[in-house]
Amino acid sequence: MTKEPNLKEIQRKAYMSYHQDGLLDIFSGLYILGFGLGIFMSTIWEYTFGIILPGILMATVIPIWIGAKRKITMPRIGFVNFGFRGASKVTAIFIGIMVVGLGAMFAFTFATVQSGSRQWLDLIFQNGMLIVGFGSLAVSLLFGYSLGLKRLYVYGLLSVISLVIGHFAGISFAYILIALGTIVMVTGIALLIGFVRKYPLKGESAIAE
Amino acid sequence: MAQLYVVQSADFLFLQNQMQMTPGNLSAHLSKLENAGYVEVTKEFIERKPHTALTLTKKGRAAFKEYRKKVKQFVDKIPE
Repeated sequence: MTKEPNLKEIQRKAYMSYHQDGLLDIFSGLYILGFGLGIFMSTIWEYTFGIILPGILMATVIPIWIGAKRKITMPRIGFVNFGFRGASKVTAIFIGIMVVGLGAMFAFTFATVQSGSRQWLDLIFQNGMLIVGFGSLAVSLLFGYSLGLKRLYVYGLLSVISLVIGHFAGISFAYILIALGTIVMVTGIALLIGFVRKYPLKGESAIAE
Repeated sequence: MAQLYVVQSADFLFLQNQMQMTPGNLSAHLSKLENAGYVEVTKEFIERKPHTALTLTKKGRAAFKEYRKKVKQFVDKIPE
């Protein structure tokens, strides 16, 4: 029977298949793990190390991720450019809002420190884990929905639960990040192994026909 | 066409995986769409390997929109 094509479902399926390789999880996990290690190191080493590490990680992780996509994913399931349509539009708007929000927060922080009023900053630092926990949940829900990846919901829930427990139990932020990063990375490695087994290389012709 | 409608571009292998079609079958469909001016096929080399990128043309996008509209009208007319 003729029926209207469900474009959202088709797009969701395309997103899902493109991210079933586990690379997103491996590199996100690596980033979280590195961030946690940076905080941990800054307590025993030098404070500035913890500040510059996320930048170093971002600069190294993204090119490796792109390279891995080209070498592992593309020869197996092909290449797709999602462009600026549908769900990616939601993600792009969200990233834009996040960047503007972070910029505004830094500007506000700078202005507040300059004027000598630190009250609200102390409040943020005291509840930092709760803020990061609920922020992670929001980010995971949004990306999980827009990319059609249900496991991101699990990561979001795991983050908020562990950070809320950490806040009230007085567990170090660094330890929680290291644990979360390891879980996400190991999940990604398991997904990658499954992906490579499911889509074995079919010789040179598999690249694109 | 629906597969290409939701993305900017995709290659042959990706479409084949998404639609679970044989290369010959997909190739025949794409040839017809290319001849109708609905799909643009770009052949290039990436790291010395042949790569076929497929994009829905403006004409193809408009035709698919029209098709969706007609199917919707048809489905809406069917009594419950």
